[in-house]
Amino acid sequence: MKDKLSVMMLSWEFPPRVIGGISPHIYFLSKHLAKQDVKVYVVTCDFPGAPAHEVIDGVEVYRIDSYKNPSPDFATWVYLMNMNMQKETAVLTRKIADKIDVFHAHDWLVANAGIGLKHVFRRPLLVTMHSTEMGRRDGLHTTTEKMIHETEAWLTYEAWKVICCSDYMISHVKYAFGLPSDKLVMVPNGVNIHCYDGDGDLKDFRSKFALPEEKIVLFVGRLVYEKGIHVLINAVPKILSKVDAKFIIVGSGYMKEQLLNIVRSMGLEHKVLFEGFMDEATLLKLQKCADVSVVPSLFEPFGIVALEAMAAQSPVVASDTGGLSEIIEHDVTGVKVYPNNPDSLAWGIAKVLLDENYAKSIKDNAYKRVQEKYDWEKIARQTKGIYEGVLGEYSKSFWA
Amino acid sequence: MRAVIFSWEYPPRVVGQLSGYVSALSTQLANSKVDVNVVTYDDSATDQTQEPSGVKTFRVANPVRTHIGVLTWVLTLNQEVERAAANIYYEENKQVDLIDVYDWHFIPAAVTLKSGLGIPFVYSVESLEDHRSPNANSSYSMAIKSIEWLGFFEAARISVKSEWMKDEVIKIYKVPKEKITVISTNPNSWIKEVLKLYNGVAEAKE
Repeated sequence: MKDKLSVMMLSWEFPPRVIGGISPHIYFLSKHLAKQDVKVYVVTCDFPGAPAHEVIDGVEVYRIDSYKNPSPDFATWVYLMNMNMQKETAVLTRKIADKIDVFHAHDWLVANAGIGLKHVFRRPLLVTMHSTEMGRRDGLHTTTEKMIHETEAWLTYEAWKVICCSDYMISHVKYAFGLPSDKLVMVPNGVNIHCYDGDGDLKDFRSKFALPEEKIVLFVGRLVYEKGIHVLINAVPKILSKVDAKFIIVGSGYMKEQLLNIVRSMGLEHKVLFEGFMDEATLLKLQKCADVSVVPSLFEPFGIVALEAMAAQSPVVASDTGGLSEIIEHDVTGVKVYPNNPDSLAWGIAKVLLDENYAKSIKDNAYKRVQEKYDWEKIARQTKGIYEGVLGEYSKSFWA
Repeated sequence: MRAVIFSWEYPPRVVGQLSGYVSALSTQLANSKVDVNVVTYDDSATDQTQEPSGVKTFRVANPVRTHIGVLTWVLTLNQEVERAAANIYYEENKQVDLIDVYDWHFIPAAVTLKSGLGIPFVYSVESLEDHRSPNANSSYSMAIKSIEWLGFFEAARISVKSEWMKDEVIKIYKVPKEKITVISTNPNSWIKEVLKLYNGVAEAKE
């Protein structure tokens, strides 16, 4: 092994291309790995205006042609994009003088490229499973869903180690793909607390969203079934009967029309605002203004939104499911409520809004917890340790 | 001379006439002292075998069983083809002169192996999507055509079996005519022409 460890990250998104949580995850993980003397290359899909190659915070970022040729559907596009990603990464890997030690793939979206590169260069492959098709769809119903599930299974089979971001995901992935326990490693997701450092008075900003006497209840997430936004909407009248509040919904998704209709039929359009997708600067401020942040998910591998709210020092009410169960310690760092239960959710939200001392204590504890446990530097160190462990095993294999 | 041949059909798996052609070609090449390694698909018989002629066969199965169509089926099979070819490469002290790939199915694997390991490839054309598909402008056929294009662009040489096909390749994919070799089907000169083509590619290798 050389002095400096080098890793080739494969991801279908990297800033400024942001589709979901993988993009910021790779950004912070790579940046902090680079700080710990790991040479990091990221290969990702192109984005209008972003250069094909640049160095960001010590990380070499390469953006490939993400396949603009016609594709009959999303899944086929993913496989075709992988064909290009694999080719361009192979050219790059062959060219760079310091050989790549490990390939690190993120989700099935780069499965083919990661697996192919592993065999062509005979280097170990690691994968982080951020989610699963089985979890996203609550089962496997269509041919496409089964195909994606089997692609995920293939990726975890080929990987030396499978990283998951919560104990819940470890057990889910173990069950979904029948993996041995010693192949799975838990490394939590991180959050950047400093992006909430901004100073200043947010009174004017707050007044754009709510009246001074209204408490702000914030939901951030895609408007899809698994995020449980419909549970929150059903809880709105129950909460309003106890405390005056404004409900701000940030995000978009296929359930939007349906949710709007429910709100209209309840005659509560003046209390529930659908903001759609929001730029980051505005969102950060809004998170700081929120009197309570709600995460009512039905399926949640990790629950980064809860962590962000904790970093923004906004008290959190979350459903007791998936990764959220581990992030939130009930009555200490937040309030846990029964999943898919509007009464329970309304109870939790009202409790936080009506008891200021309680709200203050959970948000202060939560802020401390975030600093201790979900710090990117620590997470990068853990990840580097996994790379080193794998390389140690690899050095004794017949591939070395 | 060590050649690796990619074909999605090879006896006992017969889909069309390509299977018999590749089998006859491999045997003849082995008789002409070429180390022939055929990488092909089989659903279950994935052992490595050696035929009496000396031809070695490597059959791979698809790691993903459920598919929405032949296109995605092909795209997940390619990594297994890469794995088999890379194994040959590393076990033979990195001495592989060229890959001869039949039709579009395993073009992605050939392109990756060229990009990553510097093994040049010949794209041998049996048929083209424009001739096979009744609706060659559908996004499905366009995706297959884009893989054919990638093959023509990245190949060291292209081999066809007729002057007509040569014209079609030039017409549809704007390939320079110097890049295309017409292999005659005359049994007396057939193998000599293939060997000449292979030698040219192997000598030009960086």
